[in-house]
Amino acid sequence: MATLVQPADEPRRPNIATADVQLPAVKDYEQVDNEILAILKPTKAWFFGLMAAIACLGLGAFSWAYQIHQGLGVAGYNPPVMWGVYIITFVFWVGIGHAGTLISAILYLFRAGFRTTIYRAAEAMTVFAVMTAGLFPIIHIGRPWKFFWLIPYPNWRLLWPNFKSPLVWDVFAITTYLTISTTFLFVGLIPDIAVLRDREKNPVRKQILAFLSFGWRNSEREWRHFARAYLFLAAFSTPLVLSVHSVVSFDFAMGIVPGWHTTIFPPYFVAGAIFSGFAMVWTIIIPMRRWFNLKHYVTLNHLDASAKMVLFTSMVVGLAYMIEFFIAWYGGIKYEQDYFWNRVFGQWWWAAWIMLTCNMILPLSLFSQKLRRNPTWLWILSIFINIGMWFERFVIVVPSLSHDVEPWQWSSYVPTWVDYGMIIGSFGWFFMWFLLFVKQLPIMALAEIKEIIPPRMKKGHGHHHGGH
Amino acid sequence: MTPEITEATMGALEERAAVKRREFLKVLGVSTAATAAVGCGTGEVEKLIPYLVSPDNTVPGVSNYYATTCRECAAGCGLIVEVRDGRAIKAEGNPNHPVNKGALCARGQSGLQGLFNPDRFRGPMKREGEKLVPTTWDDAMGILAQKLGEVKSKNAGTKVAFINQHEQGSFPALLDQILGGYGIPSHLSYDAEAPVATAQANRAAYGASWPMIDFSASDLIVSFSADFLDGWGLPVPQQLAFADARGKVEGAPRFIYVGARRSLTGLNADQWIPARVGSELAIVNAMLGKGSLAAAAEEAGVAVALLEGLQKEVREARGSALIAGGHSANAGELASAVADLNKSRGNVGKTIKPAQGFNAFNGVASQNEVRALVEKMNSRSIEMLFVRGANPAYTTPTGLGFATAMVNVPFKVSFSSIPDETTALCDLVLPDHHALESWGDAEPVDGTVSLQQPTMDPVFDSRSTADVLLAMAKGDPSQASKYPAADYRGWLANRLGGNAALRAALPTALIKGSSATRTVSSSRTSALPTVAGEGEYQLITYLSPTLGDGRGANKPWLQELPDPVTKICWQTVVEMHGETALALGIEDGDLVTVETGAGSLTAPALIYIGIRPDTIAVALGRGQAESAGRYAVAGENAYGILTQSEDARSGAIVYGATRAKVAKASGNQRLVTTEGSGRQHGRNIAQATTVAEIIANTNSVEHHHFDGQASTAFLPGLRSPVANDAQGDFGVADSKDKGQYDPNHWSGAAKRRWAMTIDLAKCTGCSACVTACYAENNIPTVGAAWQGPVLMPDRTGFGANITRSREMSWIRLERYWELDREPKDVKFDSAHPDFETRFIPMMCQHCGNAPCEPVCPVYATYHAPNGLNVQVYNRCVGTRYCSNNCPYKVRYFNWFGYGEPNRAQYAFPEPLHWQLNPDVTVRGKGVMEKCTFCVQRIKETENRVALEGREMEPDEFTTACAQACPSRAIIFGDAADENWSVAKWAKDRRAYHVFEELNTFTAVVYLQKVNHPAPSASAHA
Repeated sequence: MATLVQPADEPRRPNIATADVQLPAVKDYEQVDNEILAILKPTKAWFFGLMAAIACLGLGAFSWAYQIHQGLGVAGYNPPVMWGVYIITFVFWVGIGHAGTLISAILYLFRAGFRTTIYRAAEAMTVFAVMTAGLFPIIHIGRPWKFFWLIPYPNWRLLWPNFKSPLVWDVFAITTYLTISTTFLFVGLIPDIAVLRDREKNPVRKQILAFLSFGWRNSEREWRHFARAYLFLAAFSTPLVLSVHSVVSFDFAMGIVPGWHTTIFPPYFVAGAIFSGFAMVWTIIIPMRRWFNLKHYVTLNHLDASAKMVLFTSMVVGLAYMIEFFIAWYGGIKYEQDYFWNRVFGQWWWAAWIMLTCNMILPLSLFSQKLRRNPTWLWILSIFINIGMWFERFVIVVPSLSHDVEPWQWSSYVPTWVDYGMIIGSFGWFFMWFLLFVKQLPIMALAEIKEIIPPRMKKGHGHHHGGH
Repeated sequence: MTPEITEATMGALEERAAVKRREFLKVLGVSTAATAAVGCGTGEVEKLIPYLVSPDNTVPGVSNYYATTCRECAAGCGLIVEVRDGRAIKAEGNPNHPVNKGALCARGQSGLQGLFNPDRFRGPMKREGEKLVPTTWDDAMGILAQKLGEVKSKNAGTKVAFINQHEQGSFPALLDQILGGYGIPSHLSYDAEAPVATAQANRAAYGASWPMIDFSASDLIVSFSADFLDGWGLPVPQQLAFADARGKVEGAPRFIYVGARRSLTGLNADQWIPARVGSELAIVNAMLGKGSLAAAAEEAGVAVALLEGLQKEVREARGSALIAGGHSANAGELASAVADLNKSRGNVGKTIKPAQGFNAFNGVASQNEVRALVEKMNSRSIEMLFVRGANPAYTTPTGLGFATAMVNVPFKVSFSSIPDETTALCDLVLPDHHALESWGDAEPVDGTVSLQQPTMDPVFDSRSTADVLLAMAKGDPSQASKYPAADYRGWLANRLGGNAALRAALPTALIKGSSATRTVSSSRTSALPTVAGEGEYQLITYLSPTLGDGRGANKPWLQELPDPVTKICWQTVVEMHGETALALGIEDGDLVTVETGAGSLTAPALIYIGIRPDTIAVALGRGQAESAGRYAVAGENAYGILTQSEDARSGAIVYGATRAKVAKASGNQRLVTTEGSGRQHGRNIAQATTVAEIIANTNSVEHHHFDGQASTAFLPGLRSPVANDAQGDFGVADSKDKGQYDPNHWSGAAKRRWAMTIDLAKCTGCSACVTACYAENNIPTVGAAWQGPVLMPDRTGFGANITRSREMSWIRLERYWELDREPKDVKFDSAHPDFETRFIPMMCQHCGNAPCEPVCPVYATYHAPNGLNVQVYNRCVGTRYCSNNCPYKVRYFNWFGYGEPNRAQYAFPEPLHWQLNPDVTVRGKGVMEKCTFCVQRIKETENRVALEGREMEPDEFTTACAQACPSRAIIFGDAADENWSVAKWAKDRRAYHVFEELNTFTAVVYLQKVNHPAPSASAHA
């Protein structure tokens, strides 16, 4: 396989609203199967990566075990800052978990072609991010062994959760989202699993893959049903993308804490989630396209298009920040005014400025096409955005609580090693799953890429498959 | 799980018909443990029934109440001790008692933690080499008898000294009598806290050492460094009278405080004149016409206009209460001068009432008597020393050398029930009963004897010192005939008119009569000239309002109770003004070294606006030796920097005559404080008004009404819940679906609306309510050094949890400065030094529309029909959303297993947990808790009323905080019933709700503080 340089004939200004995205360096189906399935071969680097992830997870597990035994006091909680790193990290991962479904469902419905090569990775990222996020509410509560009390299960005492509590809505939102995004990921995988099955030599694995592919035979009828199912799931997931993070934002917006109690939170959180999700997609995809030689799949056009999404969502988020400040001033409520002043110029200025710099100022660089097409810059920027979005949640959670309406109880907050251990553990957990996924299932959707190979390319190689 | 009674247990019982309760418990415990393993899956031994055959008068689960006398300080307040199943669980004031009239301060409440202190001596000890080792009472009594016999046979009585904690009552007289039998001189009645100089001057001037001050009869109070709300003198009666006077609103006295440091008393004053330590005398003299005000102002370091104003007000007042205190070497002279001023103003008999005075400080020894003893010990003319109750090796200036002098005494005996510095040096320890285990009496006011009776069986193998001494005397053939009574109780009964009379008096513990009197033969020597030492700062070492002279330091409740002024707990700080700190380049928490002629002390700095820039202050009482137990070691020992100084007239110890050098040391420490921001930031939490505003009716707080605000009119009492689940249809008055929340529901559950009013005009910020709440509600203290994380703790030492604001205090005393800038930025202005302080107790407001309720995912907090906001510990999973959403921040989380034995963080080490209130759950880790309005008391009263088949009387019971409050500022009751006091107070013209604009409809109603501006100032207003 030759190393492919960017072909000169690629259009420089792709229209991201259409499917008109081309992969000029991808010539035929065989090449797609060979190149993408080559990724599945385990390597030493991958193995060490996996070990590192598991080590991080071990640190997190130890921290959690210690915390369960000792009590939550080992974390840095400093009343009235009763929520800290765990809730911040929870929202962070839920946010990450948004890009996947957005890319695979909403952009699918909008026929945004640049999604094709990145959506599988994004979708896997979604599932693992939500799996990570889902742990944090349990980690965060005082008696994690009673977590099931938040779930409405029938019991003879007729004790139900409080359906008015946003935390119960969270339980529904997260479990629903996890179920649907997992299903969506799996359904999309079916034709690709069939390809794996056909190439598999090991009879046991072949059996498993055969089972997972539901006996896919590549028939017209199957493709028709598949397309319908996929469309249906895409339509079903779309509102979820918007609702999940709206519900997560209710955790704050339903409270009467200054800095939380605002109606802008749902759209603000959704935009932030998409923003952070795309950043995480870059964090994962950009090294992958380099290490796995996928530059002719994930082309600069694709990155350029996604950069425009990031720029757009960054501006939405920035606008939300500004509106928060405006409303705090315009609302004339002293608590809010004091809080926002304290947020930006007081005790927490550093956190707020990390947030503003990373999320609002640095992404403005994407107005430059040159930088939009510079994968190195995009990757660096994605790290800044990840940090910035973590700090956005920090700024929402911690300064608000530390500077509530009762001045006598104002305080500060410093995380401990247990908090840091749990953050590191969460990354270990996420990347462990992701690395395992990368070597088990195709990280790019074989079937969909085959779809967009232009007919002239197919003709050139003497294969003709009717369009489907 | 009900413990099974096995045959073995029954056998043991039959064998010993008169089985003692605790022994029985042990047997029961063992057999329960044996059966529990088989019978029950939890694996925990639970003892549900402590008695199989209960003693008379005892019903399991029902409290008995014993009246007795408090011995935590010299005042002699009356106590009612609640005893459940043989254990004292709560101390309340005795409502019939002439001193405290039912109120009780934090220190009085904490007597229980002295009783159940885990560091108490388990039994007698004797010295073997370097160590004290346990011994038997027979052995210990034998040693004592032998030593006393030697004294008698050698006729060496004059070489024996006995130091007794100063106390009223008959014991001092008995003690002297028994000592006399051995030729030993009368004992030294020592109390480091007693204001000896003032008491002696008072006796000379008024004929009573501690006259009653009738604040209500005055319209001006002037305190010359008299910290009568800080534990100085008799804290409870003084506070009762003060709050009563200030609560009158119209006609309440204005209050001016003259002193270099604004103590809690000073913060309660309407005006502060920051006169230098010792200059109060010049001011009073100038007002008496001796010397000019200008010269006095020069000496005091304040603008002369302030003193002119003071003089004018004193002249114009119809009745004024002028009170002398003082920290300096002229305290006695000052008291005399102030007495002269009182006499010249005609105050004596009107506001200063010697005839109704208190006896607390009658016969108390001076510092110079202790010094004389030290000199004798140093010259080896003392061969035997007895110490009972007092701890002079700690509570005297280290420069006096008491501890080193003790080494010269061949044989030292301690009767202390708890280890301390003095006892650690003794050769024989004969632990006395705790005051709550012993017999005794006191005569706090003339003509009334306040009895002291045991409230429970002794916790440990201790013996009453009176009984030990009586046994000695009875063992001595030459004296035995003088002591026919079997024991001290018998002796006391004989004195008080026989056993029957004693028994009859026990229910109230009050008897008309008088205690045995003791003829005090003072061995007074001339006072030591004051050694001020050098340094540019005046040092005030003051007795801690919470720990006293240090005797409270071994009680975690008192260590955890924030100082009412500095809000510091578990720590010693050096208080200095912001200007001082700026000059020294110091910020809050930076370590500073204070060096005096006596020694040096390094502690973190605390910037405090209520102190002159040329003065620094350190509280006494902390930093005790390891020998004083696990809690008392917290902080630094300020006695170590106290130079030896004595009041010129009385020879009393002087706490404020030392000069000091202050230097920045390297490093800093987190301040162990419960204060977040000390300013209100315009949020109207603690509101204040003036009499003029009340009269003009301009004080009323805005009552907000919004369009679309839910109707709350349909429930009685205060505005009540609108929550949907509590009310049926949202705010619709005629909704059919209110269930039990309908006041007309057959269950009557919603008939009441429990509520509370807190009068900020009365509240002094003393914090007695805080300790009452700890005692009543099993609130864990969390500040001990071992109560943080075990592995890799990032904050260590005493107060580590509190530096993360993890104190569990359900009720807290917020202390707000009325300033427009941070206190550290306030410049000292000798012409306008004043600033206003407001105190506000803050606890769960039991909101009608509580923000905590809808956010709880598991209904662990919900609204009861009677208006209570209920917290169900068992249901709580610990999401902590309720606390986030609480605007008042009154919810507290169990970060560690403070209530779980076998954990490092356990807050009630054996036998401290004996005090736990059996009516209240001890919370496990991971759950939220908060003020319940003492729901256990509500339920208990409801049950009692139901059993007795009657209606509840108005004001039939109250909460722990309200019951203890020595200001009578807290009123609790049913706001839905007009007959309860609270219903009336809630409609007071000063009533307001905190954060009313948040629509929380709180059940706690505050009454505005009333300020009394200077007459000229109010004209401007």
